Amino acid sequence: MRRLMPWAAGLLALVAGFVLQTQLYTGQERTVSTILMFVGLAAAWNLIGGYTGYASFGQVGFFGLGGYTTVVVMVHAHLSFWLALPVAAVVAGVFAAAVGWPLLRLRGHYFAVATLGVAEGLREVVTNLPGVTGGGAGITIPTVGPAAPTPWLGNDGFYVLFLLLAAGVVGVAALIATTPAGYALRAIHQDEEAAGAMGVNTTVAKTLAFAVSAALTGAIGAAYAFQQVTIFPERLFDVDITVLMVVMVVLGGSGTVAGPILGAVAVGAASEWLRQHLAVGHTLVLGALIILAVILLPQGFTSYVSSRQYSLLENVRRYRL
Amino acid sequence: MTLSARNLSRRFGGLTALAGVDLDLAPGRLLGVIGPNGAGKSTLINLLTGHVKPTTGRVLVDGRDLTGARPWRIAHAGVARTFQIVKPFRGMTVVDNVIVAVLFGTGQAVRAGTRAARQSALEVLDRVGLADRAGANPAELSVADAHRLELAKALALRPRVLLLDEVLAGLRPAEIGPALALIDRLRADGLALLMVEHVVRAIAAVSDEVLVLHHGEVLTRGTAGDVLADERVIAAYLGARYAARSRAASEVPHE
Repeated sequence: MRRLMPWAAGLLALVAGFVLQTQLYTGQERTVSTILMFVGLAAAWNLIGGYTGYASFGQVGFFGLGGYTTVVVMVHAHLSFWLALPVAAVVAGVFAAAVGWPLLRLRGHYFAVATLGVAEGLREVVTNLPGVTGGGAGITIPTVGPAAPTPWLGNDGFYVLFLLLAAGVVGVAALIATTPAGYALRAIHQDEEAAGAMGVNTTVAKTLAFAVSAALTGAIGAAYAFQQVTIFPERLFDVDITVLMVVMVVLGGSGTVAGPILGAVAVGAASEWLRQHLAVGHTLVLGALIILAVILLPQGFTSYVSSRQYSLLENVRRYRL
Repeated sequence: MTLSARNLSRRFGGLTALAGVDLDLAPGRLLGVIGPNGAGKSTLINLLTGHVKPTTGRVLVDGRDLTGARPWRIAHAGVARTFQIVKPFRGMTVVDNVIVAVLFGTGQAVRAGTRAARQSALEVLDRVGLADRAGANPAELSVADAHRLELAKALALRPRVLLLDEVLAGLRPAEIGPALALIDRLRADGLALLMVEHVVRAIAAVSDEVLVLHHGEVLTRGTAGDVLADERVIAAYLGARYAARSRAASEVPHE
């Protein structure tokens, strides 16, 4: 019974998401769609960064790769969006496995910088292939009339799509957490040498985690690209998107199922509220809030809830404030 | 012979950590390895388990050449180890630590799932006397219990060869007896054992053969009695005071 409780809670949240949609104005619906997108992105990053302990700073590369794959196959091959999305996920996953095989030998900052380089490299490639990707001028998906492979989904449609994608990614993450794969990834995170001695094929486990994380990120990128209709390399390979994923996971609770959801909702909602109520300096205030949250909740919000020995003062003292 | 090493050597740049070591581990026998710090004892274990690749030489498990194989492949071949500096998976409970070994140790238990693995893990914890701490965080364990967890994780792999790297380090004198009794039981169960240790009395008590390393080379090998009386071993490792004390102890008539 206790094993089913988190799944029941997840199902309830999904139903709540559908109910919430009926209560939102168009602008609000778009905002919540974006937050849902980040729930999915944060949960996907958490697989490699949180569970496995390999902080990928190039995650937006898979987001952009998924987005561009979708647009390119929709524009050039007239493929339906519903086929383009899985194709985008597979392309991002296979690409991640190919670059992950050598890169996952690096650890810590070296891995972070290397993945950052991969994402920047992808952006350069996309920018310099104008015949295929439209280059820096961007590329537009035909969304109306007979030229459109799939009609645009509308705000309601994209809300549902992002809700289902977020639920799917969180579901995959929850499944991995409770299966042997989750044990292997957490063991690698804690001590890779010892994990190997316990019989864990660390290379395969890390590469698969990276590929699954990238494939899920690519699928969300596909949905985002279709929602935007016209996409540009600067937008789809924007490093800020990676930074947001990392911040959301760290604030919510890295390596947990609920952490990325809480982090994405909290940061997304705070950012939106500040943007509406502070015309000037809302980014500055958001940054200050994030710094404060990291100082007070260094292990993330979920750890604060599950630990009974939390001491606010202790965390402040640690920084000699 | 379950595990054999032939002419095993490792150089780190200009430093020769281990040179030309031969050894054989057989079921139901324990090879004790002693030597001063930096003699190459831990390097020897790291070479046997694939954590460090040998510069020259071969490692054979049941006659299969596993030289330079990845650690997980050697674990699947039935070779388990403990680490000198214990390596618990922090942030996972004691029983979850052992579950990792149960799930991945043989390369086959993964399919049985985590629930079956939990049962096996609890049995192993019971075997090493740690069943009552199953739900604890490894950071809360005493030094002796942390070593027990290390041993439990190795045993959960269902190994045929077990390499113990200073499992008695940091134990109180009263804790050493039970630990040695456990190691003796493992030998009786038919495990091939290698034990690196600084507690010479313990090595003398349980070893079938003792190998002495010095500057990465085998100084001598033989029964504990012969090796500990060897002048070269006394000069390189034990010290004259230890030798005099142990001689005096052996001359005290038994009552």
